[in-house]
Amino acid sequence: MSYQTATMYSSRRQQNWSRNQNTVAFISSVKLGPVAHTVLVALMITVLGLIYLTQATRATSYDYQSQKIDSQIADLNTKKSDLEVENARLTALETVKNSSVATTLATPSNTQYVHE
Amino acid sequence: MKLELQHGSRSRILAGLILLVAAVFVIRLFYLQVIQHGYYVGLSTAEQVKRLTIPAKRGLIYALDGTTPVQLVLNQDVYTVFADPQTTTDNSKIIDTIQKIAGGNAQSNLQEKLDNKASRYQVLATRITRAQADLIKAENLRGIGFQDLTQRVYPEGALAAQVLGFVDYTGNGQYGVEGGLDDQLKGTDGILQSVTDVSDVPLTIGDKNVNIPAKNGTNEVLSIDRSVQSYAEQALANGIKRVKATNGSILVMDPQTGRVMAMANLPSFSPADFTSVTDPAAFNNGVVSAPYEPGSDIKTLTLATGIEKGVIGLDTTYNNTDYIKVDDRVITNAFKGQTGNITIQHALNWSLNTGFVTIAEKLGDGSTITKQARDTMYDYFHNKFGLGTLTGIEVGGEVAGTVISPDDPDGNAVRYSNMAFGQGLDVTMIQVAAAFSSVINGGHYYKPTVLAGTVDANGAYIPLPAPSPLRTTISKATSDQILQATQTARCTFYCRQDKPGYTIGGKTGTSQTLVNGVYVDNQTVGTYLGYGGTDTPRYVIMVQVSGQNMNIEGGTDVEPIFSDMSNWMIDHLKLQPKG
Repeated sequence: MSYQTATMYSSRRQQNWSRNQNTVAFISSVKLGPVAHTVLVALMITVLGLIYLTQATRATSYDYQSQKIDSQIADLNTKKSDLEVENARLTALETVKNSSVATTLATPSNTQYVHE
Repeated sequence: MKLELQHGSRSRILAGLILLVAAVFVIRLFYLQVIQHGYYVGLSTAEQVKRLTIPAKRGLIYALDGTTPVQLVLNQDVYTVFADPQTTTDNSKIIDTIQKIAGGNAQSNLQEKLDNKASRYQVLATRITRAQADLIKAENLRGIGFQDLTQRVYPEGALAAQVLGFVDYTGNGQYGVEGGLDDQLKGTDGILQSVTDVSDVPLTIGDKNVNIPAKNGTNEVLSIDRSVQSYAEQALANGIKRVKATNGSILVMDPQTGRVMAMANLPSFSPADFTSVTDPAAFNNGVVSAPYEPGSDIKTLTLATGIEKGVIGLDTTYNNTDYIKVDDRVITNAFKGQTGNITIQHALNWSLNTGFVTIAEKLGDGSTITKQARDTMYDYFHNKFGLGTLTGIEVGGEVAGTVISPDDPDGNAVRYSNMAFGQGLDVTMIQVAAAFSSVINGGHYYKPTVLAGTVDANGAYIPLPAPSPLRTTISKATSDQILQATQTARCTFYCRQDKPGYTIGGKTGTSQTLVNGVYVDNQTVGTYLGYGGTDTPRYVIMVQVSGQNMNIEGGTDVEPIFSDMSNWMIDHLKLQPKG
């Protein structure tokens, strides 16, 4: 690939030199026709579309992960509730009264109070 | 080169046709995409976007065990097991598995249900736990499905049933605190609106997603003490059995705060099995919803009114002849023989009606119950003591009762002479106990309540601040006299029932009942109302017992229940005797 070099460029509005002002432009020798332009634009759109699809799919995959975690949380909450119910049943008055420990307890015959 | 179709050429006709077809497409697309845009967006949204309700969890209900909350009502996910008889294959294995795992929750006629091939839905077991459901699922039975639902669970069984009430199949609280605090317990459902996939999994794509979290119901802590409630129910059941009565109620409250420690009625029911109740009257909490003529325990309030107005003292005497005439009626004493010049204290000890009609007369001109006397009694009974008015207790179904105003034609002298000893007015036990609490606690009327606090989402107990009195009923000096008078009245007959070293006071009540608008002689309601403590009253206990065609006496039949409960409360509260 070769380039034409040193083609002088002069702005019509600015004929004088000034700092940081490009005074040289490179012109490619490769000429792209309208078909090539169309193909390139189509490719760019395709790439952008693929990027969009990738991102959208990734977000959806997070949704599935989130749903799975939510489901696990719900399961654990249900198990926690079941354990709380079981705990409440085991510590209920009737259960305690009928426990083997309670049946061996005796009612105190006398109560003494210490007066300050 | 200039390309130009010749006029009328086939190419030109073809171009025109293509243009026409293109125009048809454009017009149709314009119609579908622009004019019908809203309609098709609606169809699409309905197909892709799901609006799900996030159910709020109903708040739990706790009682107190001393100062620690204990769970009385919880929520539990349970499952209904169903079968599609057209799909099931190994019926014998299904029956074995269901019977082995579901046990008592399995239906009785499983074989018949599974043989019913015309049906596609047969319930095989109800209310099985998650663990049981998992075991059944592990068997991989073909044609078996599960439906989950949440139910209320009562680990303490039928304890405080009428305080709690129940939740019906529509999720609404009925009776008790479930009914009274339904709005707080119910919470607010949340909304999840989202694009979903074919499995209804919510996706984050889309711009119309809505996620409003559910607000769970409040976890309420009741002031009901589990141990006090349990003992009160047992003491009431024993007392009713002893006298062979059929109905009874008991109330234990803290007179210094208005908080109810126990509240029970018989007959009762099991909240977990409310559908088996045949008489809906069992759901009623008689303490708050069954007004009655309380009888002589109201004499303590008449006494307080008379002392507060300065028309009598405990030593004031009157001539008791065992009867007194009011207009065209003659009122007699139930206990006769205490005649002559006796004190008001003596009249209270022996529950003499004449003494309290005398107080009503002294509130007027001294010999008749004038309009002024009736106005004064109404002001104290209705406005200050709250009789015949809703107390606002958080238990569903409270009834106000009736205290007839002196401005009503029925509010005459005879009516008010009867009201002086507890007849001729319809009031609830909670009203009487709250009023009585105020005349023995220094004159402070507290709103009766069953609430002690809440439990937050982290399980931390947040107690309510100490309640403030709603109003002053009588002075401290009058209250001190009522304390002394009721202690003397109790000690006249029942001192031996009490543990020594404590301040116990009370008053019996035996009231006639109306049957078809007429007072009958063969049916009375017995009541005992009293308090206990050391320097200050720590508890007020009110007990009521009745039965159809039964004469129940407040002293002989009901007082033993009070004594039983009172002596137990002294031990439970670890009160140290004086002296």
